[in-house]
Amino acid sequence: MELTLWWMLPLATAVGIVATLILLRRGRGKQPQRRYIAHRERLAALPEYRRALRSHRRWLWIAAVSAGVLLAAAVVAAARPVQSDVVQPETRNRDIVLCLDVSGSMGSTDSALVEVFADLAKEFDGERIGMVIFDSRAVQLFPLTDDYAYISTQLQAARDAFDGKEGTSGFFDGTWSGAGSSLIGDGLATCVQSFPAGDDTGAETGPERSRSVILATDNFLSGTPIFTLEEAGELATTRGVHVHALNPGDFDSGDASDQPGARLKAVAEGTGGVYATPDSPDSVSDIVAKVQATEALSYRAAPEAVVTDSPAVPLAVGLLAGASLLIAAWKLEP
Amino acid sequence: MPSLLKKVKSRLFIAARRRTLGMLDGEYGSVFKGRGLDFDELRPYVPGDDVRDIDWKATARHGSPLIRRYISVRRQTVLLVADTGRNMAAASKDGNAKREVALDALGLIGFLALRHGDDVALVHGDAEKTRYFPPRTGEEHLERLLGAIHDSAGRESPRSDLSCQLRFTLRNFRQRMLVFVVADEFLPDAETESLLRRLQARHEILWLTVRDAALAVEAHAELAPCPRGFKTVDISDGTYLPDAPAARPSVRRAYAEAMKEREGVRREFYRRLGVTEGVTGGDDVVPALFRLLELHRMTGRAHAG
Repeated sequence: MELTLWWMLPLATAVGIVATLILLRRGRGKQPQRRYIAHRERLAALPEYRRALRSHRRWLWIAAVSAGVLLAAAVVAAARPVQSDVVQPETRNRDIVLCLDVSGSMGSTDSALVEVFADLAKEFDGERIGMVIFDSRAVQLFPLTDDYAYISTQLQAARDAFDGKEGTSGFFDGTWSGAGSSLIGDGLATCVQSFPAGDDTGAETGPERSRSVILATDNFLSGTPIFTLEEAGELATTRGVHVHALNPGDFDSGDASDQPGARLKAVAEGTGGVYATPDSPDSVSDIVAKVQATEALSYRAAPEAVVTDSPAVPLAVGLLAGASLLIAAWKLEP
Repeated sequence: MPSLLKKVKSRLFIAARRRTLGMLDGEYGSVFKGRGLDFDELRPYVPGDDVRDIDWKATARHGSPLIRRYISVRRQTVLLVADTGRNMAAASKDGNAKREVALDALGLIGFLALRHGDDVALVHGDAEKTRYFPPRTGEEHLERLLGAIHDSAGRESPRSDLSCQLRFTLRNFRQRMLVFVVADEFLPDAETESLLRRLQARHEILWLTVRDAALAVEAHAELAPCPRGFKTVDISDGTYLPDAPAARPSVRRAYAEAMKEREGVRREFYRRLGVTEGVTGGDDVVPALFRLLELHRMTGRAHAG
């Protein structure tokens, strides 16, 4: 608790002293007229009078103290007490890479996911988003960025493409040029690589940022990827990347661990991520919310000194003192 | 200096519409002068005269009551005893200083004594000193006595202690005389009682009590005990007596109760000693004196007879 206008206190004290002196001098000038009486024990010895006198004195004291406290509180409030706190603002510094399988079966899920992120991006503040699409090859649509306007246009374009609008076929260029399709391991590896090298090089100096990949795929692998899914998962683990997998078509037959859905789940949970199987594109937003919750890491930014006015305490004290002064005045009224 | 005696006389003549003087005069005469053996004159009856003094034969002849006056047996001395301590500068019940009320009463009695050819002496003082003025006659003498009382009972005077004046009186005067004491509503202690008892055996005592100022108004009374803008201060030591607590109904009730009891104790004290006591609030000195003299005659304390 500090006082902005600290000079108020000495000023008020000086004014108070001067006012007291003036009042004393004036009071000495005109003494109230006196009625001299004798044998005061006629009244003063009465227990009722003693009691009344005690309570009178008590109320006088209360009135005097209340007035003093009221004045002091008013002066303190006038001196603008401020609360200066050192706060560490919570910053949201997540890095999210959308990793979308653009094979034919994924169109509607991708569209829903992109839509959700287009909405989320409007509220983002500090998060960075990157996007990678893959089929037989992985293509980075845009790297991690916090240029939300750019993200928004890119996501809009992606959505149009996923919805099959005219003139958007070029969007998927470069994803088919390899052999096979849905080379998930390669796609995930590309996504993981799109994070800054970070701890590997020791070049990362900023605050630690959480890293997550949102991988939308049905895990129908055809062809031979450079990275297997498990290798890509290991890469993610070493880089501290959580892989959240969305699998709209979990067609596992049985619980065997080599089924595509089970493998994807194992990899996702192995990196500390979430595995979800949205029944319909509509449920994607719920899953993203869940992912957001697990990723709710907040980092402390540099401490900041914040100065706020806090007149509540002196004003409350003044209010109470004023109330008790009123009560005392009422009690003192004969 | 305005004549104190003149003030007394004007009170007697104007405020009481002339009749009072005659009444008081007759009362005084019948109480104190008594009847000598030598017939002096017949004069018309005035209320206050002793019925025994009426000359019934002359009255029957004349048609209206006539009083036989005798030449006084002897010149007697009236000793005025006054407290002129600090207490008497305090307010009386009607607001004036008790000293002023005492002056009225002493002046009246002194004046009546002079009219009847008696000598007037004065003993006054406070706790520290007692002054004595020997018996003399004449208005100048009375004026001097009143002036002495007026000048000595001030706010800065030593405190009051009437027992000093009573002791002085007891020690110095063997000869029987009429002692007229004016005091305030003090509660006499054991010493005062023994002094008064001895004094009463030797002299004839008339006692006038001047009521002290009320400190709290009686319950349900409208009047404030102290006028607004005034501070009630005890004259003995300057102690400030706040009025606000005294205005509480419970305090007022208790005060009225205590005053009643105190009054009873005081009355009982004088009754026990056989001292005739009168009481005045300040604005009723003449009627109070009349009542006092009347009471004195009724109780048969008058020496003559």
